[in-house]
Amino acid sequence: MKRKDTVKLISADEMEFIIDKDAAMVSQTIGGFAEMELGEVTFPEISAVILEKICQYFYWALQYSRGKETEFHIEPELTLELMMAPNYLHT
Amino acid sequence: MGCENIEFDQGWGEMEKGIEKLKRILAGEKETPFTSREYMTLYTTIYNMCNQKAPHDYSEQLYDKYKKTLDEYITSIVLPSLKDKHDEFMLRELVERWLNHKIMVKWLTRFFHYLDRYFIIQKSVPALNEVGTTCFLNLVYEDVHPTVQDIVLSLIDKEREGDQIDRALLKNALEIFVEMGLGQMNRYQDDFEARFLQETTNYYSRKASKWIEEDSCPDYLLKSEECLKKEVDRVSSYLHSSSETKLIKKVQHELLVVYVNQLLEKEDSGIKVLFRDDKVDDLSRTYRVYNKISQGLDLVANVFKQHVTIEGTAFVQQAEEATSNQASNTPGGHEQVLVKNILELHDNYMTYLNSCFQNHNLFQKALKEAFEVFCNKTVNGSPSAEILASFADHILRKGGSEKLSDEVIEETLEKVVKLLQYVIDKDVFAEFYRKKLARRLLFDRGTNDDHERSILSKLKQQFGAPLTSKMEGMVTDVVLAKEHQSSFQEYLRNNPDVHPGLDFTVTVLTTGFWPSYKWFDLSLPSEMVKCVKVFKGFYETKTKHRKLTWIFSLGTSHINGKFEPKPIELIVSTHQAAVLLLFNASERLSYSEIVAQLNLAHDDLIRLLHSLSCAKYKILNKEPSSKSISQSDSFKFNPNFTDKMRRIKVPLPPVDERKKVIEDVDKDRPYAIDAAIVRIMKSRKVITHQQLISETIEQLSRMFKPNIKAIKKRIEDLITRDYMERDRDNSHMFRYLA
Repeated sequence: MKRKDTVKLISADEMEFIIDKDAAMVSQTIGGFAEMELGEVTFPEISAVILEKICQYFYWALQYSRGKETEFHIEPELTLELMMAPNYLHT
Repeated sequence: MGCENIEFDQGWGEMEKGIEKLKRILAGEKETPFTSREYMTLYTTIYNMCNQKAPHDYSEQLYDKYKKTLDEYITSIVLPSLKDKHDEFMLRELVERWLNHKIMVKWLTRFFHYLDRYFIIQKSVPALNEVGTTCFLNLVYEDVHPTVQDIVLSLIDKEREGDQIDRALLKNALEIFVEMGLGQMNRYQDDFEARFLQETTNYYSRKASKWIEEDSCPDYLLKSEECLKKEVDRVSSYLHSSSETKLIKKVQHELLVVYVNQLLEKEDSGIKVLFRDDKVDDLSRTYRVYNKISQGLDLVANVFKQHVTIEGTAFVQQAEEATSNQASNTPGGHEQVLVKNILELHDNYMTYLNSCFQNHNLFQKALKEAFEVFCNKTVNGSPSAEILASFADHILRKGGSEKLSDEVIEETLEKVVKLLQYVIDKDVFAEFYRKKLARRLLFDRGTNDDHERSILSKLKQQFGAPLTSKMEGMVTDVVLAKEHQSSFQEYLRNNPDVHPGLDFTVTVLTTGFWPSYKWFDLSLPSEMVKCVKVFKGFYETKTKHRKLTWIFSLGTSHINGKFEPKPIELIVSTHQAAVLLLFNASERLSYSEIVAQLNLAHDDLIRLLHSLSCAKYKILNKEPSSKSISQSDSFKFNPNFTDKMRRIKVPLPPVDERKKVIEDVDKDRPYAIDAAIVRIMKSRKVITHQQLISETIEQLSRMFKPNIKAIKKRIEDLITRDYMERDRDNSHMFRYLA
């Protein structure tokens, strides 16, 4: 996995998630950030748990757009916080 | 997701910091690029400020601030920088500022992106991007665009005159015009293109008027081609692609359409000269260049047609004058030359048609029309149809005067057939050709059957069977006659008692195929009478129901003349022979005696006697020995006649059949018209007057061009003969009566 094609997402509690750039692009905001430099984005307001779920969502969204229509399961406890994120991230 | 509301000023303070940093970056000052952290902070600030509950939802204020930021930036920095610059520098500055502006908008849009997602839709206000462009448009563009236009146009002018200019700069500048249209091309078109096209028109109009005076036709065309190339290049380099068609059209018009006639008809270098000097490249260029202009080729084809017509007509003139200036040594020699010239002309121009003009049908048409003009002129009293027939005749007589090879003959005959398509009165040609064919078949012993058949099949292919059916019959007749003759010889061998004592050949012809010949009630010498009887007997054994009519005027006789110096064999026509044999009985005869014995008309007899006594060979002596025959003359056998040859041919002067041929053809035309009309009526049943006339003309066009009065006359005639009737309700309609 080449360095260049990945993006690092850092949560509020400093957990690092490295995902493909393609996946990250699902979020228009991150897409905009990632254009800058370093390929590293920090989200001081998003916790690691949420961020993890978000990364999963990115991959699922990619799969879905490529034709694989599966379900995306969300644990109910996460839903409230999870819903704020997309607004911010524009996904 | 903190719960404290951010106060507007506080939040805006954060934004200001970012914006100032951005400005510094744009101004080229030393500044670190934005980190993602900084970016995120700015974005988040906006995000938060917009998501706060009212009255802390600052979306609208942020939107206004965004706009104000841009306005302020432009007013404080951009405008001043443009103010004191001119020309190219101003252009450069403008382009730079625009690029900077775009970058600023891009970044700000990113920061303020959240507004784009909800606020603008909610409030139906323009998106951030659009706002960005609009600010620039209102504050900068509106002010400067006339000046910019001037600068751009003057740069283009410079380039046209040969200077190098900064093309990238122009490209960028013109892009501004396009982008200011916010998706429409109207700014580009109104603020730049319109005047650009106008100036282009003026520029090329000036150039054209100069060049047309100074340059030769090929040079002018070269220059035009160059200019067009350059303009296309210009479009691809820095103009907007939508300008291309309009631009090219204008340039083409100014350079090529306005002056086309003057150009192509230039004295020393126009089309005439190009043809004369075989300048294939220049001609091809002319075609290429004019092909791209709609209806451009019409103009060129026109000039082409005129040129060909003039050349052809000149040849015709030449022939006319040559014959009137001097007595030609070969009768019709100038006409032969004329046909040769015309054929050559045709070949030449067909080559041009194929090589330079891509066999374009406009030019084909022009060529055809040109040839039709001069191929139907009468030269020295002979209609062109006759001239062409004589030409063909000439070739077919033992290969003409020069020994031509078979291929050359075939080729020439092919060309003659081609030329015939331009002659309108094809039936006149057919008649002349038929008469000459008859003479060739009967008198010219060296005729080549293959060539004869080949030209007939070519004619049939091109013009249809009616033209050639009779002639084919004639050729077949001659072949059949040979067979008849051999069976006749056998008959004589088997019945030696009926042999008349003379060696003779009979050629039996089918009346319908051959031209009509005058019939003379000639009193034959007794030896010949016997021959006729014998053959009649033989023929009756072959077929019972046919009638034989003897045309002695077409026959040939070989007579041995016992002259004092030496005996000479005379080859004469049967009529001439009849005259000469009278002198076997008496030494001297008067004109009236001869008339009584032969039973011939005066005109014919005079001709005969002339050929025997006043022409080259004086076989008979005439008293008085004048040059012409009168009815009071008397004739004596000339025993002292001699010639260095042992065998001579005594020709008869040819009768001028021209008038007769034309009369005959004219007589047949009404029948052809009738037949055509009936054919049409039979298939259509009902037809209008106009249509009937046009269809009749079309059907008959293969043979001749009927005139409308004649057609009308025939229609009336057919009505009286109950072939058709006028429709009761509509006098312009006709109905077929079965």
